[in-house]
Amino acid sequence: MQRRNFVKLGGAAAALQCLPSIGFSQQGDVFRIGSLTPITGAGSPYGPGMQQAIRLAVDEVNAAGGAGGRKLELFTEDDQTKPDAAVLAAKKLIEVNKVQAVLGTWASGVTLAVMPLTDAAGLIQMNVSGAPAISTLDTKDLVWRFQATNDRFGAAFAEICTKRGFKRPATMAFNNASGLGNVEGFTKVWEKRGGKVAAHVTYEPNRPSYRSELQKILAAKPDVIVMGSYLPDTTIILREWFQSGADTKWIIPGWAANPDLVKALGAEVCEGIISVDTVSNEKSASYAQFDAAFTKATGKAASTNIYAAMAYDMVISLALAMEAAGPKATVEQINAKMRDVSNAPGTAVFTFAEGKAQLAKKAKVNYEGASSKLDFDKAGDVTPDFGVFIIEKGQLVRRDVVSITM
Amino acid sequence: MTWIDFVNLLINGLIEGLVVALPALAMTLVMGVNRFPNAATGDMLTTGAYAAVAVQLLGGWPLWAAALGSMVVTALVSAGSYTLIFRKLAGRPMVSSMLAAIGLGFLLRSLISFFAGHDQRTFDLPLVRAWNFGGIRILPTDLAIAAVAAACLVVVFVLIYRTSFGRQLRAVADSADLARASGIRANGLMLSLWLLVGALSSLGGVLLGMKAVVSPEMGWESLIPAFAAMVLGGIGSPVGAVLGALLLCVVQELAVPLMGPSYKLVLSFVVLALVLLVRPAGIMGRVQLVR
Repeated sequence: MQRRNFVKLGGAAAALQCLPSIGFSQQGDVFRIGSLTPITGAGSPYGPGMQQAIRLAVDEVNAAGGAGGRKLELFTEDDQTKPDAAVLAAKKLIEVNKVQAVLGTWASGVTLAVMPLTDAAGLIQMNVSGAPAISTLDTKDLVWRFQATNDRFGAAFAEICTKRGFKRPATMAFNNASGLGNVEGFTKVWEKRGGKVAAHVTYEPNRPSYRSELQKILAAKPDVIVMGSYLPDTTIILREWFQSGADTKWIIPGWAANPDLVKALGAEVCEGIISVDTVSNEKSASYAQFDAAFTKATGKAASTNIYAAMAYDMVISLALAMEAAGPKATVEQINAKMRDVSNAPGTAVFTFAEGKAQLAKKAKVNYEGASSKLDFDKAGDVTPDFGVFIIEKGQLVRRDVVSITM
Repeated sequence: MTWIDFVNLLINGLIEGLVVALPALAMTLVMGVNRFPNAATGDMLTTGAYAAVAVQLLGGWPLWAAALGSMVVTALVSAGSYTLIFRKLAGRPMVSSMLAAIGLGFLLRSLISFFAGHDQRTFDLPLVRAWNFGGIRILPTDLAIAAVAAACLVVVFVLIYRTSFGRQLRAVADSADLARASGIRANGLMLSLWLLVGALSSLGGVLLGMKAVVSPEMGWESLIPAFAAMVLGGIGSPVGAVLGALLLCVVQELAVPLMGPSYKLVLSFVVLALVLLVRPAGIMGRVQLVR
């Protein structure tokens, strides 16, 4: 019921968004932003919060008088966490609403499907997807990623293995870009540090049982198994592992080792599992300010949806780039300023208004985001910090935060 | 690899095979009598699993009682689908029934994900550690699954080969016209068949859900292995479907040490191709004359 209501509300909100644009589209100079988040489908726990965060940031920028002499105008669509639906929605945003940036795609498949459209139209694309392929396909440097790549997740796993003193890790991966990306990233860093990987198993999805895969990996006697997996297969693997009575440790990405996993398996099976997920830039002033605004708007803390802070940062960094590029700047000129306003060196700023004031003084700014320090590398990817959560008595308890360098 | 590892793989294969055998049998019964591949079998499995989850959630019943409740529900859905759809398409070419079955599958899957969402579910089932016989590990849950599947297969075989219902069914399967001429009333017979097929699919879904997780796509994804088992065993042959399922799954598991888990599916299809090259009708099938 809740989901259906949300769809209705989302639909109504989207419809309302379109109405004023007909009346005012001729008026003044605006910069049009398309929000393309998963309101329905597998990403639906996160998409509505991301859309809300984008709206908050747009309001904040407009309240500060707009960016580069322009107000931001927001159009929202639901990508349904499906590439085909996302392509239709993106086409509508680009051709009907004439947006200049498409923000907030979540699933890698969706981002990869939308990228060719935004690239062809010369628009800015911002996402929170993990697939490493997004970086290599972004030939025009118009794509900005606010979440860690699967590669970086792998590097974080290696860091955690070292810190916790594991000696004989083995890896197990779902046979797709995300699963393999995780364990290949891990293997690369782990072997560069002189370590050896005891065994590696790539498994096919949708099996009723993974006992033979487990048997194969446990035969190598690893002390920890590093996973690149999703929730359903992880549930089956851990159940069979527990029943067979082995006692290895597990390092599992946060999207698979989460409260749903504990609910499916019970506290006893999950005890001691190490779950790794990126964390927001929690000690920053920008996070405190966003957390307050998000909690006021949705009644939920920003920590309940790490993607919301990323979506918020998308708008703020884009607006700062517009401010730096000056009035009447083209999308290309704005895009070229993205690293200038987000990366060091420069005066650290934590809100759009601060950044705007500094830029007015011709100073160089370095926006420290709510989601991460927000330093874009050559491929337009950021490197957030990773939280190390241990499942204790059925609760995910954060025990550590690790930073990696790429 | 020692012989103990092989025994473990063999046990895995046999249990997986028994789980696959139920939908394969359900499909082969419909194929033998109604003469079309029932592509909705997979989604009947899903329906069965979700019905059991629903009964457990609403009634707080133990799993065996929930499974019985779900068998009733799924049997009714199955018989309903025959009355409303497949009976009306009986005279048409096989393709129309098959397409209707694919459509029915989509409908069931969409209804399930609309009401139950896409999140995975699991049965309320205690986890028990495996029994260890000198390295040969047997999960009590697996043993229960195998026992239920085997018992179910025995019941179906008794029904088919030892009762008048089964004799009439085989008569219709051999020649529908001849059966009608000898006074077999097809309507009630067909309804019983579809009730049986529904109950069988439901149990298959519950067993699959006990081993894996319950999700809207679970049945659809197990359709291809079941289909392969049916073809391998000989289309329309109940014994063949079970043998085919066991053979495919055992070969898959035993291939793990040779080729690794990512290619085991491929090998099972190589076996399928080889058997069909040598024996086009499948293990237990008869070469049928085209009428």
